[in-house]
Amino acid sequence: MAFDKMELRDIEVWDGNHAAAQALRQCQVDVICAYPITPSTPIVEGYAQFKADNYIEGEYVLVESEHAAMSGCIGASAAGGRVATATSSQGLALMVETLYQAAGMRLPIILNIVNRALAAPLNVNGDHSDMYLCRDSGWIQFDAFSPQEAYDLNMIAFRVSEDHDVRIPSIINQDGFLTSHTAQGVHTITDDVVYNFVGTFKPMNDMLDFEHPVTHGVQTEEDWHFEHKARQHNDMMTVVPDKIENAFSDFEKLTGRKYNKVECYDMDGADIAIVCMGTSVETVREVVSEMRKDGLKVGVVGLRVVRPFPFAEIGDTLKDIKAVAALDRSAPGGAAGMLFNEISGSLFNTDSKMLLSGFIYGLGGRDLTKANIRDLYKELQANVDAGKVLTKQQQFIGVRGPKLAYL
Amino acid sequence: MSEIKKIKNLKDFSTSADRFEGANVLCPGCAHSIIVREILNATNDDLVLSASTGCLEVCTAVYPYTSWDASWIHIGFENCSTSIAGAESMYNALKTKGRLKQPDRNPKFIAFGGDGASYDIGLQWISGCMERNHNMMYVVLDNEVYANTGGQRSSSTPLGGSNTTTPAGTISYGEKQNKKDLMGIMAAHNIPYAAQVSPNKWKDLVKKVQKGFATEGAVFINAVSACTTEWKFEPKDTMLLSDLSTDSLVFPLYEVIDGRELNITYRPKNVVPVEEYLAAQGRFKHLFRDEYKHLIKEWQTRVDENWDYLNRREAARV
Amino acid sequence: MEYKGWDEFEIGAMLRSFDGAIDDIAGTAQADRKYSENNSYKASVADWRVLKPVFNKDYCIDCQFCWIFCPDVSIIARDKKMIGIDMDHCKGCGICVEVCPTNPKSLLMFLDHADSEAELAAWPEKDEEE
Ligand SMILES: Cc1ncc(C[n+]2csc(CCOP(=O)(O)OP(=O)(O)O)c2C)c(N)n1
Ligand code: SF4
Ligand code: SF4
Ligand code: SF4
Ligand SMILES: [Mg+2]
Repeated sequence: MAFDKMELRDIEVWDGNHAAAQALRQCQVDVICAYPITPSTPIVEGYAQFKADNYIEGEYVLVESEHAAMSGCIGASAAGGRVATATSSQGLALMVETLYQAAGMRLPIILNIVNRALAAPLNVNGDHSDMYLCRDSGWIQFDAFSPQEAYDLNMIAFRVSEDHDVRIPSIINQDGFLTSHTAQGVHTITDDVVYNFVGTFKPMNDMLDFEHPVTHGVQTEEDWHFEHKARQHNDMMTVVPDKIENAFSDFEKLTGRKYNKVECYDMDGADIAIVCMGTSVETVREVVSEMRKDGLKVGVVGLRVVRPFPFAEIGDTLKDIKAVAALDRSAPGGAAGMLFNEISGSLFNTDSKMLLSGFIYGLGGRDLTKANIRDLYKELQANVDAGKVLTKQQQFIGVRGPKLAYL
Repeated sequence: MSEIKKIKNLKDFSTSADRFEGANVLCPGCAHSIIVREILNATNDDLVLSASTGCLEVCTAVYPYTSWDASWIHIGFENCSTSIAGAESMYNALKTKGRLKQPDRNPKFIAFGGDGASYDIGLQWISGCMERNHNMMYVVLDNEVYANTGGQRSSSTPLGGSNTTTPAGTISYGEKQNKKDLMGIMAAHNIPYAAQVSPNKWKDLVKKVQKGFATEGAVFINAVSACTTEWKFEPKDTMLLSDLSTDSLVFPLYEVIDGRELNITYRPKNVVPVEEYLAAQGRFKHLFRDEYKHLIKEWQTRVDENWDYLNRREAARV
Repeated sequence: MEYKGWDEFEIGAMLRSFDGAIDDIAGTAQADRKYSENNSYKASVADWRVLKPVFNKDYCIDCQFCWIFCPDVSIIARDKKMIGIDMDHCKGCGICVEVCPTNPKSLLMFLDHADSEAELAAWPEKDEEE
């Protein structure tokens, strides 16, 4: 039975989950193996409804756990077709073993992570603990700040991952609830145009090619393992960045929407800046435009591509900024935050005199308020005026109790 | 539906061109490979295979060598069932979408897991695959121990065996639990076909596997795999141990259809006492000490009771 | 096999069983297949052996017990006949000898460095006690 195309209005009011589910439908994924968990459940449910209404021709396998979801995705991907899934938090944690396996086997799977805190204590709200949990797993990681971006980045991710020069899986992050459950206007693309953009899947080393049997998932010990891992990292560092750039540029030609690995807002002539991810970027942008009206030279940088980390672009963007705050939305567990570390790494050993301070915020869905952000900029300005970081390098904001500061 | 390969006798069978290769690094005399050969040679159809982490996997795909002449995948210890189910799902998707490269083929999807991978860590994954009734065959290579990692117990390890995590000692006779009834658990999924096989009874094995291949839906096969290293017998005696396990009824050969109908497929003419089976293996050596001899009796009683139960199930036709 | 640098192999540590396309694997005898250099068929475990099986075709009845129960695909059968042993892949386990039903046996184990011709010349007689 032929499946049906869906007529969409130019602008639909979708939340991030629905936007992701629509993108997966439009990309005509061949196999999805999935398991529900808050707040990504509506992706799994939405897709199920599409399937029930004959909008999906591919297979939809409702497995018994997230580990099985990614295990099934790996088998399906190795068999040779387009594969995707979605999860959050504890589900991602259960999946972690297989994330490394998918990346090591160079299988171009797409995973939507609707970001949520990690227990204990149990919490269903958004923070970036799950995103950070798998940051060294060898997956490309995109970050969407809004439903529109969750929609667009899915298509871009298929383009990048499935490229035969890449063959590295991609994660698209979006904030739990703030993006996933917040309906906004989304500029849609028609079914045919989306499918044309991602193209029909081109198999490579596929198990279902019976004339060319392949062995996937071998054992390598000290005599071979390092070379394989080196190859994986090399391709991430040298091949993927340009492929992402190309996909962004092709997507812009198609839709007029321009993505960048590092998104800059009001950074022209800025003296001080905040670097953050997710919906916080949008919140900070609002504050920045208000502060700009008051003549303050403030800007905000949003990280669009988390892995491979855009060292050069971050370095370029921040080298002349006088003071920067790195906002990490994940419990750092006895170290500096990831963004703090990577930004330091981008500018260390350069001539930059940037003053960097790190902030841990928003754990378990705690709001980042406009007042928090104004205070933060004030602190940065004070650092600039003093010519040094006046506080400890790591501070917690928005948490009750005596002030927490370290390093 | 593809044709069933005609195998009337061993001479016929020996014309098969193996799709599993030597110079793998399994121990000399390892029954895993005998079972795998018998299963793969039971069909001429294309194969899509998976294996869980364990002896079979670590010994047949050690970079830069593969011993597989069919597409094969390994992910981890617990998920060879789901990886093959994923591949089978992709096959179905590409079939629907008209994108199969060789649409005229009838591939068989087979997952191989050890008892550790199946009775223990992967049970949930297998259960999911069976419940969803993927068109696949799951095969347990049941050597009753985590052999690959050096002989730790699994929930398939039988009573009284000495294993590295339940060793016999001055105050212990080793493993305290009886082997889990995985066949019962799998049959309870009401899958179309489940069977126990042993490589010494190759005809019975081939017949069941072919039945499995001809079945639409999930098939579960439990194969006893005598392990020279962990059961502690000489490599040349692998088939002797296989004979002892089937002929003592320690490992009875039967099938369960649709989770209901049970058929015993092999009734040894001369039933061998369990004691003989135990005596042939170093892992049970200590049971022959005076203080543990009662366990041998217990063994015999349990095997008799199980045989009786299987017979009653068969007779009841329910 | 030669070690390779990180830039010299296929991604994902993927291995191919054959060079080029092979249409009907199950219908192609091992000798006629184009195995890739990564197929263990191309490797040898001959140095594992302490004992080796020697085949005496004079007594063989081509029952193929040795073929079916050899774990290492090392009994070479052609047209339903047992024709020899693949000494690159035989690990010397001795199973084939145990399962051989003839009297005297058509397969016996000897030290790996033994002279097979001499052993064949001195093959034991039928064992009357059996
Ligand atoms: C998640 C995980 N836990 C533990 C291991 C370690 N491990 C690898 S194989 C194995 C035992 C395999 O036993 P079994 O499944 O019975 O196969 P066998 O080697 O006996 O054939 C263990 C414990 C692992 N690889 N992965
Ligand atoms: S330890 Fe046992 S199962 Fe593992 S390779 Fe050796 S004989 Fe086979
Ligand atoms: S000794 Fe073992 S490996 Fe060698 S041919 Fe005989 S059964 Fe096969
Ligand atoms: S088992 Fe013995 S008689 Fe039978 S084919 Fe082999 S060598 Fe010949
Ligand atoms: Mg085992």
